[in-house]
Amino acid sequence: MRNRIRELRGEAGLSQGQLADAMGVSRQTINAIETERYTPSLPLAISLARHFSHSVEEVFDADA
Amino acid sequence: MQTLKDTYRRSRWVMPGVAVVLGAVFMVAQWIGGHPAAGAVSFAIMAVFAAVLVLLESRSGAVEIMRRPARDERARNIDLAATAFSGIVVITVILVAVMVQLARGEDPSPYAQLGAVSGVAYLVALVGMQRRG
Repeated sequence: MRNRIRELRGEAGLSQGQLADAMGVSRQTINAIETERYTPSLPLAISLARHFSHSVEEVFDADA
Repeated sequence: MQTLKDTYRRSRWVMPGVAVVLGAVFMVAQWIGGHPAAGAVSFAIMAVFAAVLVLLESRSGAVEIMRRPARDERARNIDLAATAFSGIVVITVILVAVMVQLARGEDPSPYAQLGAVSGVAYLVALVGMQRRG
């Protein structure tokens, strides 16, 4: 699923590892989400969106 | 207070520990069965597997998931899919073994019993999980 995680993480000045620690997941999981190889669960998608103060729809594009 | 990181740190040693304990159980079983040398080999194989889990975790995503399958949701999903795949392979092998034994005119035991156990286990899991939601 297309998403803006990499872009938002870059704007926040966070590394993949830092975002992973904040979300309680592995760095590989953040990388897999950014490269669209893994679609996160709804709780993780909500946590990611909240972390960047956006709605889920603003971060994840279900139609792409 | 116990943190998520504490839980992860402790869980890192569960799989290597299980591998070593399982190797020791194999060794004792084979020693009781009169094959101490084969038991030592079994233990060595499991000990090497445990060492691989510890030493190569940082170099391989697959080893990392083997060492900590419950680390996060992606690891759990991959572990679940890999477990389901291995189950399908084992059940397929069991069914083929039953067919071969029947075609030879021989008793399909213990393959038939193993197939029955896997079928019953699947049904019990299916009923339980669909009730859980």
